[in-house]
Amino acid sequence: MALENLNLDIKKGATGLLGPNGAGKSTFLKTILGLIQATSGEGTVLGHDIRTEGAAIRARIGYMPEYDALNPDMDAINQVRYSGELLGMNPIVALQRAHASLQYVGLGEQRYREIKSFSTGMKQATKLACAIIHDPELIIADEPSNGLDSTAREFMIDTLINTVKQGDRSVLMASHLMDDVERVCDDIVLLHKGKLAAQGRIKDLKAIDREIEIHVWGGASKLEAAMIQRGMRVRREGRVMRIANESEDLTSEILLCASQVGAQIRRMHEYEASLEDLFLVIMENLGYDVKSSEDLFSHPIHARKVDAPGHMGGGAS
Amino acid sequence: MSDDEEILPQSLPQPMTIEPQPQPLAQPQPQPMASVPQAPILPIPQQVQKVESVETRMATAETPVTGQARMDTAWGSSEGDEDISQMASISQTDTGEIFKQNYEPWRGELNPRWMRNWAILRHHILGIFKKGHRPWGVPTRIFLVLVFFASLSDAALTLLSSLLGDSEFHSYWGVNRDNLYGHVLGFFPRNVMYYPIVAALLVGGVISEDRLHGTSALYFSRPINRFDYVGMKYASVAFIQAIIIIFTLFLYYLTEIMVFGRGWAWIVDTFPIFLGALMGGVLLIITYTSIGLALSSVSKGKFFPGIGLLAIILGTKTLAIIVKNLFDREILYLLSPYDCLAHVGQTLVNTQPTYDQYSWTWSLASLIVMNAIALYVLSSRVSSMEVTRE
Repeated sequence: MALENLNLDIKKGATGLLGPNGAGKSTFLKTILGLIQATSGEGTVLGHDIRTEGAAIRARIGYMPEYDALNPDMDAINQVRYSGELLGMNPIVALQRAHASLQYVGLGEQRYREIKSFSTGMKQATKLACAIIHDPELIIADEPSNGLDSTAREFMIDTLINTVKQGDRSVLMASHLMDDVERVCDDIVLLHKGKLAAQGRIKDLKAIDREIEIHVWGGASKLEAAMIQRGMRVRREGRVMRIANESEDLTSEILLCASQVGAQIRRMHEYEASLEDLFLVIMENLGYDVKSSEDLFSHPIHARKVDAPGHMGGGAS
Repeated sequence: MSDDEEILPQSLPQPMTIEPQPQPLAQPQPQPMASVPQAPILPIPQQVQKVESVETRMATAETPVTGQARMDTAWGSSEGDEDISQMASISQTDTGEIFKQNYEPWRGELNPRWMRNWAILRHHILGIFKKGHRPWGVPTRIFLVLVFFASLSDAALTLLSSLLGDSEFHSYWGVNRDNLYGHVLGFFPRNVMYYPIVAALLVGGVISEDRLHGTSALYFSRPINRFDYVGMKYASVAFIQAIIIIFTLFLYYLTEIMVFGRGWAWIVDTFPIFLGALMGGVLLIITYTSIGLALSSVSKGKFFPGIGLLAIILGTKTLAIIVKNLFDREILYLLSPYDCLAHVGQTLVNTQPTYDQYSWTWSLASLIVMNAIALYVLSSRVSSMEVTRE
């Protein structure tokens, strides 16, 4: 997948890289690792030019691949030590750091075991140890919690959070698991078909879907019209409506509209989208020309209609 | 009694309680000993017993149901109006930490390119001898040791001939033109049983297992370029073969000098032949390694490259023999790496050529073409190896 017109500025800290299969995540990672030459444009990673200084970039990055990248016949300590030697570390120093790294990822007691006897979680932890052996400034974790059980997944996520907070390192985390991204990262980059679909702080991006949800009985269309007339942003699926929560006295205004048109509001509650909802909203409804959270906020309301049939108030045919 | 009547509480008779009265135990009276001076009785320091602090909390949905709570519920004798905060309690104890996750920074400097390349070379070569480096299979290690000692058979027999003082025996095994050639390029047993199998075992998984296990990502996500990666793999496989072929050739030559006390005149006379054999050995190592690594780069696993290399070396040789015997045509030797090497080697050592229908330059050209094709396949396959997914 070719990347096109990708203009990104990733800040220090934890950033999630999201996108469906074929979105260009792997291409993006290879580009910033300096393994793919950009045909046009430019970029820097940690101050190094991605076109000419790939080796210097890779020396300062720790890459944790998604797939198996360990020799099953080696024991963990020597595998991690060798990964340090491949960076140019002295063998003795690499061995010391391998011990420290494996201890950090929770494999201190298992470091002399052969990797083929490891569980998936232990293999993932070993890959992380390989990535952090030289204390890189940026750790790229490609699907770090893929295939892990809940305990191992918790530990992996906690380790990444600890690496960011205690270690003061940056993490670029590519994952399909939105919960994990939400826990580790403050920012996200959303790719689709090689283009940037959204970028920004998760908190800001989620604000686009902070809404009041009401369930209406009788006069729903009149209520919808009244609310739109008062400047509210409404999307509707039958008797369920969501109104963009943009003013402090929104609930009063909704109730006022309902009393004016004689509609019953049988349920009203605040609705905040999860990151997964946000992902779906952006992917399915926004189109792919959005660049930042500001663009998302300013996007026309009709684009955010839910995929309900037209006769139910939705945008789908 | 009407519905409006109040039910006034009646004074109930007090239940009879039987409380055992504690009887004071008779304290033994100490009898002072008249003749022994009384030492002052010091107060015994009270041992401060650490009591596990128990914090009582209101039970919530998250409160664990302890055995005590269940027992109270099932068998408690009270009316059920207990303060439920006493039903379950969480013990707040200092448990200590078995594992504490501490991120340890590292402020060292990474060494330059040569150190990374040395790490790859070292990893592969030391793996033959010790644990912790590339895990070569046990059969491979055993076979390498056996072949190493078998390759020293001519040196050992030279030593034996000097001990026996038998000149005829020495003429069979001592250093001469044919024996130097035979050490490197003799067909049986060395190029049937030793060197092609050694090459097949070595090249088998060198690159293909990186594809299989995904360990190529470990290399290419580091500051290692493709040339260094394949160059060091090539060098390490060639180096191990060189220990078996070239180093034993050198030991053979050295043994002759040492045990027979050869002088400079003999050395000057035979050294060009030794160099010719050495060059033949280098050509053999390069050719076998190039073809073998090319096969390794197009596969996953060690079986196909190994078998493929043996099939190319021995299969083409067999085909050439069949064609020669049936049609008296030697042209198919040009397809056989071994035959081309032997032809060029005979020229280098200046021994009796067995491929006399064609010029040795044809064989040399064929070798160059074979190596070029193998290196092209190798480089193109390695350059397409992925860091993210194979």
